[in-house]
Amino acid sequence: MDFASNITLSALFQQTLVGLSRTTILFIVASGLSLILGVLRIPNVAHGSLYMIGAFIMYSVNLFFGGGQAGFWIAVILSPVAVALISLAVERGLFQHLYEREHLMLLLFTFSITLVFGDLVKMIWGSDYRCVDLPSAFQGFFTIFGFPFPRYNLLLIIIGPVVAFALWFLTNKTRIGKIARAAAVDREMVGAVGINVSLIFAAVFVIGCFLAGLGGALVAPTQNIRQGMDHAIIIEAFLIVIMGGLGNIWGALLGALIFGLTDSIGILVWPQFAIVFPYVVVVIVLLFCPKGLLKSTW
Amino acid sequence: MIKKFSWKALFLGLAVFVLLLFVPRYLPRFQVYLFALIFATGLLAVSLNMVLGLGGMYQFHHAVFYGIGAYTVALFITKTSLSPWLGFIAAPFVSALFSLVIGLICVRLSKLYFGMLQISLGSLVWAVVFRWYSFTGGDDGIHGISVPDLISSTGGAYYFSLAVTALCLVIMFRIVNSPFGRSFQAVRDNPERSEAVGINVKRIQLTGMVIAGIFAGVSGSLFVVIEGSVFPELMFWTLSLEIIIMCLLGGWFTFLGPMLGAAIIVLLRTFVGIYTEYWTMILGIVLMLLILFLPQGVLGFFQEKFETDGMKTIREEK
Amino acid sequence: MLLVKDVQKSFDGFRAVNDAQLKVEKGEVVAVIGPNGAGKTTLFNLVTGQLNPDSGEIIFNNENIAGMPPYEICRKGISRSFQIVNIFPRLTVFENVRVSVISYNKRTFNLFSKAENVAVAETEEIIQSLGLSEKAKRISGSLSHGDQKVLEMAIALGNRPELLILDEPTAGMSPEETLSTLELMKSLSRERGITILFCEHDMELVFSIANKIMVMQHGRTIIEGPPDVVRSNREVQEAYLGGEA
Repeated sequence: MDFASNITLSALFQQTLVGLSRTTILFIVASGLSLILGVLRIPNVAHGSLYMIGAFIMYSVNLFFGGGQAGFWIAVILSPVAVALISLAVERGLFQHLYEREHLMLLLFTFSITLVFGDLVKMIWGSDYRCVDLPSAFQGFFTIFGFPFPRYNLLLIIIGPVVAFALWFLTNKTRIGKIARAAAVDREMVGAVGINVSLIFAAVFVIGCFLAGLGGALVAPTQNIRQGMDHAIIIEAFLIVIMGGLGNIWGALLGALIFGLTDSIGILVWPQFAIVFPYVVVVIVLLFCPKGLLKSTW
Repeated sequence: MIKKFSWKALFLGLAVFVLLLFVPRYLPRFQVYLFALIFATGLLAVSLNMVLGLGGMYQFHHAVFYGIGAYTVALFITKTSLSPWLGFIAAPFVSALFSLVIGLICVRLSKLYFGMLQISLGSLVWAVVFRWYSFTGGDDGIHGISVPDLISSTGGAYYFSLAVTALCLVIMFRIVNSPFGRSFQAVRDNPERSEAVGINVKRIQLTGMVIAGIFAGVSGSLFVVIEGSVFPELMFWTLSLEIIIMCLLGGWFTFLGPMLGAAIIVLLRTFVGIYTEYWTMILGIVLMLLILFLPQGVLGFFQEKFETDGMKTIREEK
Repeated sequence: MLLVKDVQKSFDGFRAVNDAQLKVEKGEVVAVIGPNGAGKTTLFNLVTGQLNPDSGEIIFNNENIAGMPPYEICRKGISRSFQIVNIFPRLTVFENVRVSVISYNKRTFNLFSKAENVAVAETEEIIQSLGLSEKAKRISGSLSHGDQKVLEMAIALGNRPELLILDEPTAGMSPEETLSTLELMKSLSRERGITILFCEHDMELVFSIANKIMVMQHGRTIIEGPPDVVRSNREVQEAYLGGEA
């Protein structure tokens, strides 16, 4: 067993950066999920599907514009927007009739959407693995303290805090955010003062799903785009949200950070069981803080 | 869940059982295999419903206990020189042990938190199995497991599954209608009041989980007999949700509903799978329609329509 | 039998119960009165374990039960009904009562006997004595409010309590129902020898049945004593009886 034999300072540093870029993706996806859970109380399993669809649309749009700098950025912007539109249709068409159902039913309903979306993706894009080529500006490596580090990952590390700030601004400084937070605590009260709660809910749902699409678009260049990536991400996102505290955006960030770092550093410690470490950490956290690390909106 | 004992039901059950005894003589092998698979899956779904429908607990990762039962038998046969039959005896015990440990951690919480914590613990078990190549075979699983000759043929596997499933159903039916079953229902309907009349709510929930885990383990061991292999997908969370769908499909306020739900899903997967590779989409659409229009399930629906007593409880409440 | 001493409980800084004192002797019928928000229900919740006191002692039969979980307190011999109807709405009246009888008989974890044949006689006896026989097979959620309040009591009796705690047993009842509940409480006390502790807004009922009355205000015990003493107490008259007595 090569247990912990290859931990050097440089490797540790490098894996931390890898973990941080992974954190960005996890945070973007989990914060969307958390938003929807916190305000709408929907455990949205279909969030993973939207992430996958985001990645596939990223692939197609990028291909359509022939790759390159322009195609890449158009795709990064277009695919979450497309995902948001899909989610708007789903929310207005289906969910808005189901808000009063119990959580188990909502969970199963979103799972049924996952099943349908999974096969739709298979129909449209087939079962082959897809890759997104990075524009040349993001290819290659930076050298940080003498260690090579992929440029694109650095971009991700920068995007993470930007998204976090934008979300903070949205929920704390804008009118819709304030109403949404109030609705999360007491939706009847908000409805009673004459605000159209249904529309607020739709907006929150769409924003949450936009984030799923954005996560999918950003992750696309770093891994194979394939069937099944929806199932993998959603369980991670749920665990992050639970660990951080349901509905708490900063909790999602903290959870993503813990999850991303244990994953990437676990690879150094014991490569074979690297995927086990984040789950162990989640279990430990929930043993001591069953309702998550930060205050939940529930 | 409350069902009066009746001679009619007993007679009907016996008649079905006798009919099923003749299945391998008249049907082709593939269909015999399908029947056996339905028994095992149905047993799994009924066992989940012990906690989900009867106890109202959000058992989100039931498949873990199923997978553990299956892996216990598989590892017993491939890794030890002990009698394989011991593996079948061990499977429910190992599943019960995992249920107990996971349950002890989870029952402190309720509803969605309970379910999510269970998914994290279950995923942990899955991840270990998925990666532990030297022991569990990792993501490949273990194939070509040679079960004892007596039950290795399609017919043998069929009769074994039938006998075990029938026995388990009888036991579970008794448990559902025992004082424990009644108390468990009371806890489902009103945990606070249950505690005030002297019921230790956490302990009864834990007991319910362990019982459900035992039967899930038995069901997993049947899977090994029928399929001759195990793989990590047996304890992946999507399967857990599929089992919940079976319960919902059949009706989770009925005893045998989940069995019916399991049959529908297995048949759907098999026969729709022949015509199209997009069978999960069809499952998804069925599920959507179900939730929108028939939340009491198929059997629940028919009972509501035709049965005079038994399910009155639920009907009047709706 | 029951002694509540210096009990305190606050929620987010609000002192719901602040220095409560209460003494209940065997065979007594004790009433707790006080305006809304005086902390009566909180006090009961503290005694029966739904809440844990911040400090103070609750002694029942020479044992400090403060902070025990509700099911243990119930097994020690204290049963209760709730102010807001708290039953098993999906079960029949009979099953509702049987749940507590099964629990009292310690058969909750009995897995293999037939529930149908368990605890039938005891359950029927309770249902009959409370006049619910005709409704025994009804789904409890479909009963009238008054019947549900009686069922509350029936469930509590299933545990054969030494001390029965009733949180506003007649709240929302019609005058006739109130009267029959009063008779019921009298017969429980006289014929079964059950000690009763209750709170109630109906002063007529309180003074017609209670041997002892405790008056609460702002979470504090103002006075505790026989009805005559309480009635003539100036502080109580001003605070609660509005000087009418």
